[in-house]
Amino acid sequence: MSFLAPLYLALGAAVAVPLLIHLMRRRIGARIDFPAARYLLRAEKEHSRTLKIRNLLLMFLRVLTILAIAFAAARPLAEWVGAGHAPTALAIVVDNSLSSSVVVNGHPLLAEFKSMVRDVLSSATSADRMWIVTIDGNVRGGSVALLRDEIERMEAISGAGDPGLALSRAAAVVRASGLGARQIALVTDGQRTEWQNVPPLADAQIVLYVPNGPVAVNRAVTLAEARPSRWTPRGEIAARFQSTDSTTYRITLNGRTFARGTAAPNEEVTVHASPPERGWLAGTVELEPDELAADNSRPFAVWIGPAPGVTVSPGAGQFLKDAIDVLKSSSRVVDGHDIAVVSADELTTLPALIVAPNDPVHLGAANRALERMGIPWRFGLRRSGEASARGPELDGVTSTARYELAAQTGAVADTLASVGQEAWIVAGGHYVLAGSPISPDATNLPVRASFVPWLGGVLTERLVGEPGQVLASEPGKHLPRPRWADGIETADGQRTPIGDALDVPDRTGTYFLTLNARRVGALVVAPPSGESVLDRYSARDLAQRLRVNRVLVAPDAGTWASLSFRAAARRSLIEPALIVALLLLVAETLVIRRRAALRPAA
Amino acid sequence: MESTQALRADLFDPASLAALGRIEIVARWVVDGFMAGLHRSPRKGFSVEFADYRPYQAGDDLRYIDWKIAARSDRWVVRQYEEETNLRATIVLDVSRSMAWTGSPERLTKLQYAERLSAALALLLLRQRDAIGLIRFDDRIRSAVPPRARHGQWRRVIAALEEPGEGRASSAPQALEQAARLISRRGLIVLISDLLMDTTDVERAMRTLRAMGHDVTVLHILDPAERDLPAAGEALFVDPESELAVPASVADVRAAYQNTVVEVIDEWRSVLGAAGVSYEVVSTDAPFGVPLRRAFAVRQQLP
Repeated sequence: MSFLAPLYLALGAAVAVPLLIHLMRRRIGARIDFPAARYLLRAEKEHSRTLKIRNLLLMFLRVLTILAIAFAAARPLAEWVGAGHAPTALAIVVDNSLSSSVVVNGHPLLAEFKSMVRDVLSSATSADRMWIVTIDGNVRGGSVALLRDEIERMEAISGAGDPGLALSRAAAVVRASGLGARQIALVTDGQRTEWQNVPPLADAQIVLYVPNGPVAVNRAVTLAEARPSRWTPRGEIAARFQSTDSTTYRITLNGRTFARGTAAPNEEVTVHASPPERGWLAGTVELEPDELAADNSRPFAVWIGPAPGVTVSPGAGQFLKDAIDVLKSSSRVVDGHDIAVVSADELTTLPALIVAPNDPVHLGAANRALERMGIPWRFGLRRSGEASARGPELDGVTSTARYELAAQTGAVADTLASVGQEAWIVAGGHYVLAGSPISPDATNLPVRASFVPWLGGVLTERLVGEPGQVLASEPGKHLPRPRWADGIETADGQRTPIGDALDVPDRTGTYFLTLNARRVGALVVAPPSGESVLDRYSARDLAQRLRVNRVLVAPDAGTWASLSFRAAARRSLIEPALIVALLLLVAETLVIRRRAALRPAA
Repeated sequence: MESTQALRADLFDPASLAALGRIEIVARWVVDGFMAGLHRSPRKGFSVEFADYRPYQAGDDLRYIDWKIAARSDRWVVRQYEEETNLRATIVLDVSRSMAWTGSPERLTKLQYAERLSAALALLLLRQRDAIGLIRFDDRIRSAVPPRARHGQWRRVIAALEEPGEGRASSAPQALEQAARLISRRGLIVLISDLLMDTTDVERAMRTLRAMGHDVTVLHILDPAERDLPAAGEALFVDPESELAVPASVADVRAAYQNTVVEVIDEWRSVLGAAGVSYEVVSTDAPFGVPLRRAFAVRQQLP
């Protein structure tokens, strides 16, 4: 038995009132002159036993009445004797996260969960209201037949889902049902990485089942990444594996196996490659299948093309020319006219890496060239003084002289580096624009060790090919719409327009992003690496993490099914308590009236 | 018939009637009404008639010397009358503190009721040529008027009734003995009391009176609230005479109390009946005619 408002039990202290009245009744009241007091004394003596019994009876009836009212005010809940259950709002939360696809005893864990849900559905009555809530927060309601179909179709998702969202929605639907008996039945593998943060649900009552068998040993690919994301045409693939011992792996690209090897536990493997394929390609890093197959393969994407030809104008400066010579010597770029590296006043073609002119006299010509080439930025006021620059691969870089980059109407660009609150290096569709000359007089960038890699990245990733990139996400997430793409292409070649946001597909894999039906980037969907860690909470530990009103832990699957309608078995005792109080009052009235009935006829 | 009854003061509400005048006036109205309602008695009337002369002796009352004979014959003779009254009655009235109580301000106290009843009874008997006396008592004899039938006796009775009283305890046995001494001949004794006293003492006194040949009638005065208990909830009930205090819840004990009152009345009826004493319960809300008729009926039964 439990109480929804236990503080009202304090009303029980009011029993002191009839007790005190009973004990002090001989001391209270007015003094009345009454000559026949001797008759009264005699009456009390002769009927004292009857009077005492009746007074005690009245006192007990009044005490019990107060206790019954206090009991009712505390809103008690208790199990009622009898079979069946009252109409119940039951939301069944099924953990169908990726980890639920692990095979245990020859069957996926999710199959056991589905069987348990079917058992619960078979206990439902037509008066019950039922919902199935998957771990990603999707809610399906309806008749038992519909829910049976739903549970048959249910598959493990490719990610961890959102357990907090699922529980919140389950609590919301049962709360909105209007039924008195509300219950959430949760079946989960209790994965520790999945149940880190659960929002409090004060009014929820959960019946919980967590398998208590041994946890399967799991191997997984936790990292698969092409570095850089654009190969010209050389690059490397980085991979890491979760395993308790060394494991063999296979790397595929565009459906072709091009690398195999063995990796030590948690070792990061790097495979260099210069494949003959060109364009946006999909690849995978794979392990031999184990009990959890979903994380034995991890996708990646890469753009592969020839090394771009680069022309350096004299106004760009010696440091840029020397750096590009280094890149040419490593075959990352070649002589050619694919990309121009120029001072802004010399700009005549795109794509181009554009730097501010060394001489302020050329500033006007530079801005005219920018305008002529349709670049929505202009050089503005000159800024002096050393200031730190912020941006990827630009740690420790400072600027001592720069021009303010003034955005023109409709300017859309990525800020690659900033100084203070102002943009310093910006990138657009076919250009990268620096607000300083690349010389030691204006910045220490050309003398930093990171300069050549940064320049290589700008030339081979920003300015070569289409202006797309590789996006990485988890299944079911939502990303901002990339400006450079208008569609998404699935593995079977189907293209879907992108709306206001990019809805990440539920299945893992590589999806190409397209612009005007041409591949311009890739979306790599992979499960969070934490899903591969199968360590789980015990049912009791997880129950403590669920910040809800009440958690009933089912020791086994059968008990979980039987407890799922526990809320209906635990009905309110308010009405019975009030009925008892009423009956006690009636009894008290009868006792009092019986006295009147004893009046003598005389 | 109804109009006749409506004019009869003996059938009025006692409290309303008492508000109209003093004791003697109320008593006259009551007796007049009562007599008007009586059927003519088969007995002859009573009177004081001359019987004989006898020589004057020292100590004789000079009022009874026949001065005409003394003037004619120079002999002093005293007129002797034959006492034709066949009843000498004494009203023994309890004026203890318990009698000065009423359960409602709209009713007479038991003492007020008893005083007016006594006055009416005295007047009634005097009109019947009976001698009537009065003894008032509480814990001692407060006043005593010897039984007489002559003119002015009723005034003396009224004067005695108007004397202050209201002592503490009642002592009926002593008062009854006193009454017996005052009544040298066999007669009627009417005890008017609330009988809040020991049954044994009263019974013993009654048996003594009966042994002396007296006829005794007891009018037990009860306020209606004494039969039913006042509606007072939880209260401390205190006897003003004995200071006996009894805490009680009226609702709890009312039924038992009513049973007890019935038992007490039965006890008095039994005890007094066994002693040959007439016993009547008189409620203070009953018209005076009711107890008057009962007391007069006793007198009519006497030889």
